[in-house]
Amino acid sequence: MIEIEGIGRRFNTRDGGSFEALKDVSFSVKDKEFFSIIGPSGCGKTTLLKMVAGLVKPTAGRIDIDGQTVIGPGEDRAMVFQQFVLLPWADILTNVGFGLELRGMSRKESREAAKPYLEQVGLTRFAEHYPHELSGGMQQRVGLARALAVGPDILLMDEPFGALDAQTRQLMQEDLMRLWEVEQTTVIFVTHSMDEAAYLSDRVLVMDTHPGRVREILDVPLPRPREESTRRSPVFNELTSHMWHELRGMMGDPTLPAPE
Amino acid sequence: MVAQSGPTLGSGESQVPEAGPRARANRWTPWVFRIGSVGLVLVIWELYGRAQETTLFFVPVSSVLAALWGQLQSAEFWDAFGQTFIPFIWGWLLSLAVGIVLGLLIGRFNTFDALTKPYVTFLNALPVSTLVPIAVILFGIGYASRILVVFLFGVVEVTLNTAAGVRYVNKDLIEMGESFNASQPRLFRKVIFPASLPGIMAGVRIGTGRAVVGMVVVEILLVAVGMGRLILRYRGRFQSADLYAVVLALIIFGILLQVLARQIERRVSKWKHEMEQIA
Repeated sequence: MIEIEGIGRRFNTRDGGSFEALKDVSFSVKDKEFFSIIGPSGCGKTTLLKMVAGLVKPTAGRIDIDGQTVIGPGEDRAMVFQQFVLLPWADILTNVGFGLELRGMSRKESREAAKPYLEQVGLTRFAEHYPHELSGGMQQRVGLARALAVGPDILLMDEPFGALDAQTRQLMQEDLMRLWEVEQTTVIFVTHSMDEAAYLSDRVLVMDTHPGRVREILDVPLPRPREESTRRSPVFNELTSHMWHELRGMMGDPTLPAPE
Repeated sequence: MVAQSGPTLGSGESQVPEAGPRARANRWTPWVFRIGSVGLVLVIWELYGRAQETTLFFVPVSSVLAALWGQLQSAEFWDAFGQTFIPFIWGWLLSLAVGIVLGLLIGRFNTFDALTKPYVTFLNALPVSTLVPIAVILFGIGYASRILVVFLFGVVEVTLNTAAGVRYVNKDLIEMGESFNASQPRLFRKVIFPASLPGIMAGVRIGTGRAVVGMVVVEILLVAVGMGRLILRYRGRFQSADLYAVVLALIIFGILLQVLARQIERRVSKWKHEMEQIA
């Protein structure tokens, strides 16, 4: 259980003033829940995720994970990044094992331990390739395998498919669903995409901006496992158009047409 | 359960550029021009040298090469070379070792950067040759001052490039390391140091070039031993072919070291070059 209580974040600006990025954000995420955060650019959703990761400190409020207040990164969490962030000088197998290596395992052991995760993401035959030899989608599979390899209770995903083209993105979402059904971790997933949030999540937090705050939390009453047909169901469409309505209001342009 | 691999799998292979015949031709083209350029200068040198009435001042390249060949057979040349080479090696290695350690500290810790900045700026702004007389007063004209001068020439570039290499490590990589809860020493060893290697190796290459300059400066300004003594003697006797030969030997030595440093850099920073070729 992740409890986020009254989180705020102020940044000092150059002219001596301060800027409030997040204000009084409170919500909680249940164990094994797939929880997405969506909101317009600059609403502080990535900052919020990094706070849960322990990479950014809140200036107000606190985050508790199973009753323990977060004071820094921990072994219970692993992160997947938008830009993949793989080691360019190391091959794929080393990259997948790198989270374990950073936690003290030797290179040899971590490579061995990484093999099943590499297989899970379907890249076994690329074990000895280097990241620049792989497509974006494949690189993100490596990023995902690296996070899964440390056996996290909580997977933190920062717009992980944001840098991928639409088709790859959809495939990655389907793969992620299959993996998540097996791994059963709690996921906090930051995204720009309403379809993605609706397709993947149990609940979706819609954030408002200036300052970033909770607008509403939506339940996603779609059956699992989610399938290709999920995207065509009336509930799915209703959810995405509701999200679009909310986001469009925040973006201050009520004349924009809704997507199909 | 194994994740179904979608049609995206395998498409990455085509991203590796193939070294076709065209790529190979391009690789050799610069060499044709390089060799042609050197050859042209040598031909002009030879012709101009032969046109001279005396060999006191300007000597054709063939005579210089003959003189060099003669010197390579003599024990005196190799003694002189050793006297120049040994302090160079020490000064050079010292500049690399000190420069890399200093650069890592400066790049990693702002306090250390502030502490050392006045000295680094000072050495960087100053023509190091001006320190040679002081080195001589302090350490005489033996190995110690030669080592010191070579060291001072090389160390600044190694330090600055290493520090820049550390400072410009991709912040995302560091954040990734931190997110996996790595300790600071492990983060440094596993992420920051390897990511800084291209910068460090650029420092090694440039620093090596500077150290060679330092070696030559020592030979010109501290003429009592080594190759500098040969230069002085041949100049005094107007043995121009021999004089040119000694200078040529120093140049060749400098070039060989540069080539060596570049090879090491290529090897260590291989991943970086490959990435840049694709980007």
